[in-house]
Amino acid sequence: MAYSEKVIDHYEKPRNVGTLDKNDTSVGTGLVGAPACGDVMKLQIKVSEDGIIEDAKFKTFGCGSAIASSSLITEWVKGKTIEEAGSIKNTQIAEELALPPVKIHCSVLAEDAIKAAISDYKTKKGA
Amino acid sequence: MNATSEYSAKRKVTLVQAKADGAARRDATEAPGDRIVQACWSCQGPVAVGEPFCPSCKAVQPPGQADHFQRLGLPRGFEIDTAALEKSYFQMQRLLHPDRFATRTPKEKTLSQQQATSLNDAYETLKDPLARAAYLANLMGRDVLKEDGNGPVDPMILMEAMEMREALAEAETAEDVATVTKRAQGEIADCESELSDAFAADDLDQAAALITRLKYLRKLADDTRARRAELRGRG
Repeated sequence: MAYSEKVIDHYEKPRNVGTLDKNDTSVGTGLVGAPACGDVMKLQIKVSEDGIIEDAKFKTFGCGSAIASSSLITEWVKGKTIEEAGSIKNTQIAEELALPPVKIHCSVLAEDAIKAAISDYKTKKGA
Repeated sequence: MNATSEYSAKRKVTLVQAKADGAARRDATEAPGDRIVQACWSCQGPVAVGEPFCPSCKAVQPPGQADHFQRLGLPRGFEIDTAALEKSYFQMQRLLHPDRFATRTPKEKTLSQQQATSLNDAYETLKDPLARAAYLANLMGRDVLKEDGNGPVDPMILMEAMEMREALAEAETAEDVATVTKRAQGEIADCESELSDAFAADDLDQAAALITRLKYLRKLADDTRARRAELRGRG
């Protein structure tokens, strides 16, 4: 199966790979997986006092589409409010990367990851 | 006595013994209503589901709806007798060999090919612990490794997977990789033994969690091989 140019670009030059301090109260961590492929994706956001995502990092062990989806979403969420980031739909990612139907679930994984990170951040803030 | 009838005679003996083993074993290992019998397409005689040949006229049968365990004449369960699996597979494969059907009707040729394909599927699935566990869970009504399933995974499994994949990504020498490989193999062995207990206890939730964990561990083990090859290429 041929990957789109955008997928290859993100796969070869992934943006924002790395780790933020998960114990920092301004950091939210989302860890999700796709059991069928054995893929695992970690996405972290650092949120400012006024609810803006200042930084985002990811680590994904999986196929090119999963890496590209998480790389793209970290680019998108930076500078957004957590509400805006939480409203990103997997279809937008799939469309931007021209994912074939069998790889749509990789974009779903990225959407799940950002939602999980936001939820983790909110839980920490509430605590 | 030709090879076919000799084979079905042996198989009949196995079935009779399995029945004689009593109700306790039967409950845990055999599907309900397993002795489903269909009519042979050629002579209309009775053929038990999973039997490749009609016991009366010896005609090859369609693969039908037999599950992988029935097809290979094994009791349903995670623990299997691998020697019996190999023996049954190679025996049936020989009986279904295309050479034996060279002079038969097109229908029989087609059926024997379908039988051979189903037989290979059954063997490939049952010989691999992960595939066997996932298949067994499926028979019990749980599709653990659904193709498009990103369903919620136990965070502990994901944390372990992430941690081990990171350790592998950071491995710079063959020794580092060997350490990860050894750990992965140890965890795989433990996971398979826990799977056996979970299935023995009919604990489908626990089995599903272990199947997911095993899938991640196996993926890791595959990647350790790739990483080793990569390091070798570099050095």
